[in-house]
Amino acid sequence: MSAGSGSDRSRRDTLRDHYESAVDKVTPHLVRFATTSPYERLLISVAALALSVVVGGLIVFGSGMVATCQEPFTFHLVLFGNELWTWPTTSCYDPWAVYSSLLSGATGNLSANIYNYELALTLKESTLLIFTGLSVAVAFKAGMFNIGTQGQLVLGALASAIVVVTLAKVVPGGLVGTFVLIPLAVLTGAVVGGVWGAIPGALKAYAEANEVITTIMLNFVAAKLAFFLTSSYFQPENTQSVETAEIPSYATLNPWLFPQGSKFAIVAFLFGLVLVAAIWYVLTRTSYGYDLRTSGIQPRAAEYSGVNADRTMVSSMALSGALGGIGGTIWVLMVMGRFQVGVPAFGFDGITVSILAGNNPIGAIFAALLFGGLKAGSLAVQFETGVPKQLVGVLRGLIILFVAMPEFFRMVGRRVVDPRELGGDHDE
Amino acid sequence: MSNTRSIRSALNRKTLRRGLAAVAGLAALVTIVAGLIFPGSFAGTLLGIATKQGTIEHALRLCVPIVFAALGGIYAEKSGVINIGLEGLLIISAFTGVLVTSELGPQSTVGPVPSIWVGFLAGILASTLLALLFAVVCIEFRADQIIAGLAVWLIALGLAPFAATVVYGSVNSASVGTFGDWTVPVLADLPYVGPILFSAAPTVFMMLVAVPLAWYSLKYTRFGRYVRASGENPKALDTVGVNVHKVRYAAVTLSGILSGIGGVGLSLGQAGIFIGSGQTMVNGKGFIAIVAYLFGNYNPIGAFGAGLLFAGLDAIQLRLQQVPGYAVPDQLIQMIPYVTVIVVLALVGKTRVPDAAGEHYESGEER
Repeated sequence: MSAGSGSDRSRRDTLRDHYESAVDKVTPHLVRFATTSPYERLLISVAALALSVVVGGLIVFGSGMVATCQEPFTFHLVLFGNELWTWPTTSCYDPWAVYSSLLSGATGNLSANIYNYELALTLKESTLLIFTGLSVAVAFKAGMFNIGTQGQLVLGALASAIVVVTLAKVVPGGLVGTFVLIPLAVLTGAVVGGVWGAIPGALKAYAEANEVITTIMLNFVAAKLAFFLTSSYFQPENTQSVETAEIPSYATLNPWLFPQGSKFAIVAFLFGLVLVAAIWYVLTRTSYGYDLRTSGIQPRAAEYSGVNADRTMVSSMALSGALGGIGGTIWVLMVMGRFQVGVPAFGFDGITVSILAGNNPIGAIFAALLFGGLKAGSLAVQFETGVPKQLVGVLRGLIILFVAMPEFFRMVGRRVVDPRELGGDHDE
Repeated sequence: MSNTRSIRSALNRKTLRRGLAAVAGLAALVTIVAGLIFPGSFAGTLLGIATKQGTIEHALRLCVPIVFAALGGIYAEKSGVINIGLEGLLIISAFTGVLVTSELGPQSTVGPVPSIWVGFLAGILASTLLALLFAVVCIEFRADQIIAGLAVWLIALGLAPFAATVVYGSVNSASVGTFGDWTVPVLADLPYVGPILFSAAPTVFMMLVAVPLAWYSLKYTRFGRYVRASGENPKALDTVGVNVHKVRYAAVTLSGILSGIGGVGLSLGQAGIFIGSGQTMVNGKGFIAIVAYLFGNYNPIGAFGAGLLFAGLDAIQLRLQQVPGYAVPDQLIQMIPYVTVIVVLALVGKTRVPDAAGEHYESGEER
């Protein structure tokens, strides 16, 4: 989080000013957010998740009072086979039923068939969220808040679809096509997403434009740009919706073991895991990763120890954008088989995944699995209980809110653990 | 030493902003002159559109949510709480206003009050409650303000379409109509300015009142001084016996009230419906508001000018789409306001942010 350009002198000036600016006053918070112990972070994430589930349940119950249905549900409290309490509610939605259908909708019947359709849906969502979650996490590690993963994903997806559709005309089909086109698509997605991500990085580094705002604005621009390009240049004449031509089947990622209709390819999931490992390695075992993390935690220290803060800002945002772009490629190759406007909000969900994972790449796998389950299960929830699938959007917001307030859980924790410490030292 | 540097840098910023304004003014002047000389040219068309009474009326209406959210953002940030969740406050109030109006029946009344005005108040209440939640999370639980603000946005972005689906069966609401225009007799008959300034949606009048009020309250009232001190030097404020937390609560609550008026002004003042697909009908206006007040350097009047500029661009692009002969695709023209926001932010860059903004303040007594 630093700035400055040009000569050394003016650079020092802006640098100093910059540390006096309030934008950096946020840094201590981010630092605390980033430097709590992994154990504590895990506890906070789990607690935040649990609290979101409870509050989400209350919201479901409350909205069930507004919704219309044939008959409201009745609450039965059963203990050891004895019905202790019966409460005929006025709500159409039974939170318990919602969550049990969410769970069964997310995992399917595992004992009957481990490669079932429901689990495949969960893993499909999780695969995409690994990329976007990782994208947000990398930027966060460098002290940048990349809200623009969505836009980077959209343009990465469009670019790879165009490349595959165009080159399919000249590249031979079959296995050769697969091995040429798929890596090329991934590369395209990475480059385009990376360039789109580097823009807010450069704007922050050289013009001090706050990346939160610029990335959000660039999301809007990306969506409109993708719509314009697709509808003006790449739309086949016979289609109704704004989309590119279909990519040839040999360039798609197809399900293996899991049902064909599920659109979940294990190879994409494994690729996600490989990227996680690679990012983890880069962040923890290379000097670049060290510089990147230092810039995120202690920008001034990084600057004084010779890290080029501007370049780190741009490159980390490019890396983050590349990961988002690859997410877009996978969405095209695995799920859609083409590019289509109205891309689901994988980028925003990636923020939740990253924050839930404490911006830890490996944690992102678990957060992605969890949130993927939530998204896949919500379809079953809508089908079985009538509660709109938009519930996931509510839970997404709640999770971020609760993870953002670790102090709340610390207070609760202190109250539970040792009442005498109440009102004592707040800082650990 | 560092002080002189800050001052110099601030001067540079000021020069830059002035330069920017000068360039914009020059470009406008060139367009006007070219338009007057060659009425058939693009500049002529542009001038015709920009000065059309309808365009200016439209721009005033479009800037209501941006300006109100910006006013709210100014209070919050001046007091030391960066409220990046303005977008969420706009969404929740836009939706709640429509919801309550439609549940009461758009044509019915509650006592002597038409239901749409009950909806108006309900929307403001919803936004205020969400802002209070944000305040509690930031002030009591010392949450990171940026993440908490983001959560406010995402909660509203999830909650409004969810609730709309529960009630209406779709992410969009039923149509409930708008406030209609208020007309000042006699003055409204003035040529050109009459219809623009004296016959408009009620929320436009409210905005025209709120902007100077906000400016006055921040600059000349005791509350305004407290707000500024709470953002610049909370310790000093604490020392003279003013509760910093209370000031911040008040400022953030105020940002909820103001954003609430903006949100309802969007749904009940303009559209008469809530649209919940994609980024909802708010569509980034809360974030544009942040840039508007940064561009206006935390001055309510400056923020109003910036908001009017962004909304004016939007109004012009909407008209431009209807002009035959300019085959610029809609989607490209629609980018203009967003790209402008990025360019403005890049050129203005860092503004003189209140010193303690984003910082949690812990009063000594609590320890």
